[in-house]
Amino acid sequence: MYNLLPFNFTRLSNSEVLVNELGDMIIAPNGTVDAVVNHSLPSNDLYKTLVANHFIYEGIVPPLIDVYALRLRTKKCFLDDFTSLHIFVLTLRCNQNCVYCQASSQNEDSANCSMSKETMDASIKLMFQSPSKKLTVEFQGGEPSLMLDLIHYAITEIEKVNETEKRTVTYVLCTNCFNLTDGLLELCQKHNVLISTSVDGPEWLHNKNRGRTDSYQRVVANINKARAVLGFDRVSALQTTSELGVNYPLETIDEYVNLGFHSIFIRALNPYGLASQNNDWKQYTERFIEFYKKALDYIVEKNKQGVFFVEEFAVIVLRKILTPFTTGFVDLQSPAGIINSVLVYNYDGYVYASDESRMLAEAKDYTFRLGKATDDYEKIVCGDTAKQCAKVWANECIAGCSDCALKTYCGADPVRNYSTQGDMYGYRPTSLLCKKNKAIIEYIISMIIDRGDEVLPIFRSWLL
Amino acid sequence: MIIKVDRTIYSDSCISKCIYWLSAKYAIQRISAGDFEEISIANIEDENAFEKDFWITLNDFKLRSIIQEETKDIKTILYAKAFFNNDIEETDLTD
Repeated sequence: MYNLLPFNFTRLSNSEVLVNELGDMIIAPNGTVDAVVNHSLPSNDLYKTLVANHFIYEGIVPPLIDVYALRLRTKKCFLDDFTSLHIFVLTLRCNQNCVYCQASSQNEDSANCSMSKETMDASIKLMFQSPSKKLTVEFQGGEPSLMLDLIHYAITEIEKVNETEKRTVTYVLCTNCFNLTDGLLELCQKHNVLISTSVDGPEWLHNKNRGRTDSYQRVVANINKARAVLGFDRVSALQTTSELGVNYPLETIDEYVNLGFHSIFIRALNPYGLASQNNDWKQYTERFIEFYKKALDYIVEKNKQGVFFVEEFAVIVLRKILTPFTTGFVDLQSPAGIINSVLVYNYDGYVYASDESRMLAEAKDYTFRLGKATDDYEKIVCGDTAKQCAKVWANECIAGCSDCALKTYCGADPVRNYSTQGDMYGYRPTSLLCKKNKAIIEYIISMIIDRGDEVLPIFRSWLL
Repeated sequence: MIIKVDRTIYSDSCISKCIYWLSAKYAIQRISAGDFEEISIANIEDENAFEKDFWITLNDFKLRSIIQEETKDIKTILYAKAFFNNDIEETDLTD
């Protein structure tokens, strides 16, 4: 006789996929859940697997209840230290004209769209109010490399405060790499600043997206220059799949491999800034899902040929499926990454709940503005806006997500719900974010079901 | 198309969750009729395929509801054990 532990299930690739609260996954033949629920499961290997993996237990109390509780806490450990990612939007000025710009960037010579030193001072003071022992300082824009003096000032001030605070501070410069000056690289070298950049795909595609004929040439030259000064692995790249780029998955992967990257983070467009003018989001989402599947298949093939190359979104999902650990990726968290894991200090002197929140603000929508950088920390992270978000930021508690077997691998996103569906709660059956995340997670699980012997050794090598 | 669902077998919660996911595509009306519920769905192209999917979805929600009902107490205990802050100092009131 056995008792049940909490779990959910879904049907994929003619199998039943059982997932417990810890994210442990078991693939079983059709009819398994019915047998488990009706307590008619025979005492076979599957029975033992279900006991060993916390789906059922024998006796009155689960013998490993403390282990289960500890693992549950581990899965939510991103909450322990509260906000660790602090994004500083230094300016909206930019030196490129990307067709999909989500940040409402302005011309390079625009005025009144850059952060003042007073705002920087207040933002740094606020950041150090966060209890997190590890702080990631991310400089964003526009194009933050246009603000060398302010980056220098920020790092100097942070280092000064940190002499007594003793936090572990990591700096990340999110730059298009169009104009990395010697002075900037010197600063990056001195303070171990990581470079996070972006290449859209092959030269012609990148240049078309960036609105310049020389963008690819300069970006690649600067990536190599940064690698030479900072170290090869101190430069990483995120890819953004434009409406045009969605047709070229293989070419995009080849480009990243040829540029010497060992990974790619495949990202869809988000409906903010210029990207929000996309003609048909439903069609784009469907095309992006196909793009992702083809790209992931191709990456697996590359690995089979001996090229170690990783897709980072898949790594995040796989870490949740195949290990007891979680990730620091704010877009797939529940409770959501907004406020809990990220705060954004904007050039305008205000603090926002996420990067997307400040992008909404550029469209005069200040729903996720938490307060001024000069406000008290408590007002920012426990104020009325934060409380409103908190009501809907756990997918364990919202319709459509709470009954989803994949919720442990996914996350809640009140900002996206609000921007695309008009309210923070959202409606999952028509949510394109739900459609995209579910399709990708299901595809990864289907690969494990259908081609486990082939893909699991590769997937596991990505998690080392 | 009208599908009759036995309310003594399927709870309101199960039916509501099933219809929640269908309501993006279809206009659905629910009419209570004693122990049964008549679910009226308009504009279905392939009625046979729809009905098959409907019952699979409904039965899956029924299975989930049984799991939730049977595990709700142990789930509460697990979450309480996992997230109880044992670093809170308690005052000894016996002195």
